[in-house]
Amino acid sequence: MAKEQIKELSEERTIERINLQLRAQHFALMVSVTLLILTGLALLYRESALGRLLIALEGGFEARGTIHRVAAGLLMATAFYHLLYILFSRQGHEEFMQMLLTPQDFKDYAATVLYDLGVRAHKPQCARYSYREKFQYWAFAFFVIVMIISGFILWFHDWFFGILPKWAFDVAIAVHSGTGTLLLIVLTLWHLYLVHLRPGRFPIDWSFWDGKISEKQLYEEHPLEYQQLKEKGIL
Amino acid sequence: MRQLLALGMVLISLGLGSELSYGQRDPNARCLLECHGTSDFKREVAPGQFKSLYVDYEQFKTSVHKDKLCIDCHTDVTAIPHQRRPEQIHCLQCHYQGNVVGAPVSERPEKYKESVHGKAFARGDPNAPDCKHCHTVHSVRAPTDPLSPVYRANIPKTCGSCHIEIYTEYLESVHGQALRNNILESAVCSDCHREHDLFPPDDPRSSLHPQNVANTCARCHADVKIMERRGVPVKQVEAFKKSFHGIAIEFEVLKSANCVSCHGYHKILSSRDPRSPIYPLNLANTCGQCHPNASENVARGRFHIIPSDPGAGIVFWVYEFYRWLTIVMTAGFIFYIVLDLYGRWRHARRGSHG
Repeated sequence: MAKEQIKELSEERTIERINLQLRAQHFALMVSVTLLILTGLALLYRESALGRLLIALEGGFEARGTIHRVAAGLLMATAFYHLLYILFSRQGHEEFMQMLLTPQDFKDYAATVLYDLGVRAHKPQCARYSYREKFQYWAFAFFVIVMIISGFILWFHDWFFGILPKWAFDVAIAVHSGTGTLLLIVLTLWHLYLVHLRPGRFPIDWSFWDGKISEKQLYEEHPLEYQQLKEKGIL
Repeated sequence: MRQLLALGMVLISLGLGSELSYGQRDPNARCLLECHGTSDFKREVAPGQFKSLYVDYEQFKTSVHKDKLCIDCHTDVTAIPHQRRPEQIHCLQCHYQGNVVGAPVSERPEKYKESVHGKAFARGDPNAPDCKHCHTVHSVRAPTDPLSPVYRANIPKTCGSCHIEIYTEYLESVHGQALRNNILESAVCSDCHREHDLFPPDDPRSSLHPQNVANTCARCHADVKIMERRGVPVKQVEAFKKSFHGIAIEFEVLKSANCVSCHGYHKILSSRDPRSPIYPLNLANTCGQCHPNASENVARGRFHIIPSDPGAGIVFWVYEFYRWLTIVMTAGFIFYIVLDLYGRWRHARRGSHG
């Protein structure tokens, strides 16, 4: 496509790229993970002013724990629903198949690095889910599984006492706090940067709420999806 | 003949002793000469019941109060012989904060009044101890004096004169055994219970309130010098405070376990002692007090671990793994962001050639 044509692409005309199903799942995930991180950090940094402030805001030590477990319930319900969605819904299954990692994703990532460094002249052509979305999706999926398993052991420790040795609980605590800290870093430095904070998106991209993307942004970031939609005549 | 000689010498020494114990010029002599210095001086408190009013002046002269006059404490005796029975005296009439006679108050004796003993005494409990039950009456000696009932080595016996069962339990404990082996830095009653400010454990001021137990044990068990001398690990209290139980206690979840929940209190025994609640085979029962499903699994792992300490075993390695992963990933993301910004800046400058 010629340069002039790109400029003609509207920033006003938008298309609903993320459907309500995915938006609702993302919203539940966002709310539960935010609550889990705030209540978890309060416990992890209980000796600092930040921790004390968080505990006070969360209504005290035991209320903090209750909020954490309620949010954990929401996260587990969301994860379970998502599993049903990708297994038994045609739409969800199709989305999931596009999320599967392929060797092309790693090539695309390498190509982007080379493009940013100026070695290559062209950006890699990404489909609906680029290496960025895929890496994040799988990283989060892995983290959530680790957090649910370790958190489950700690929550129902009285039951697990009959099965697991003492050191397994100590490992569960270390894994839960370690993965939680890692998750916070991944969320702020990677996810938030990519979707909200980077140039062109700052301060906020509302697509998490309405699922809409402008034609211009779609063309720039997901050129293959743009072409596909163009061919189908949706655009 | 020899027996007679011995008897004579005893009599002479007794006579000399009584002569030497107070001279005519001793200002206390007037109290002693006629009345209180006579060993059978007594008063009939009830028909056929007598109370001795004898004061062993030799003992008195070895006490911390040896330079005091009788009337320094018995202040209501204004004429000798006194006509009325002198009032009960109390140590706190001198031993109060800011007294001018130099009576020591470093252990805050006035707190006795608030203590379990002081309150029971004030209620009129005939078994409640007053100062004299631990410190004696006329032969008060300094706590550093091995003959004092409040000398470290004598404290358990002194408390045990009323708390007999606890005393026998204590003697079996590691602390009691050490004390019997003349290890004076071993814990005695007052190290945990305090001396004068002795409150019941449900009182937040008590050294044995659930929130204070760890700090009370820490007074010795976090002391590197004492623990090294005795070959006892020193980071146990610190590890407890970082643990699940310790955090809960810190935030006033008082049902959470503190030191004594697992170790016991008067009869604390080594984990190598089969009678100990922390003997590996007994752990299932001990943990089972709170965690009904506890099995022999609870003994499989290390206790009192600090994750950042290599002694924590597998937990240390998990902790290190996450530490390095977090550092590497943070650096990676910062690199990623910088590269992304650099790429954007570069292509914006050269114009879009997408």
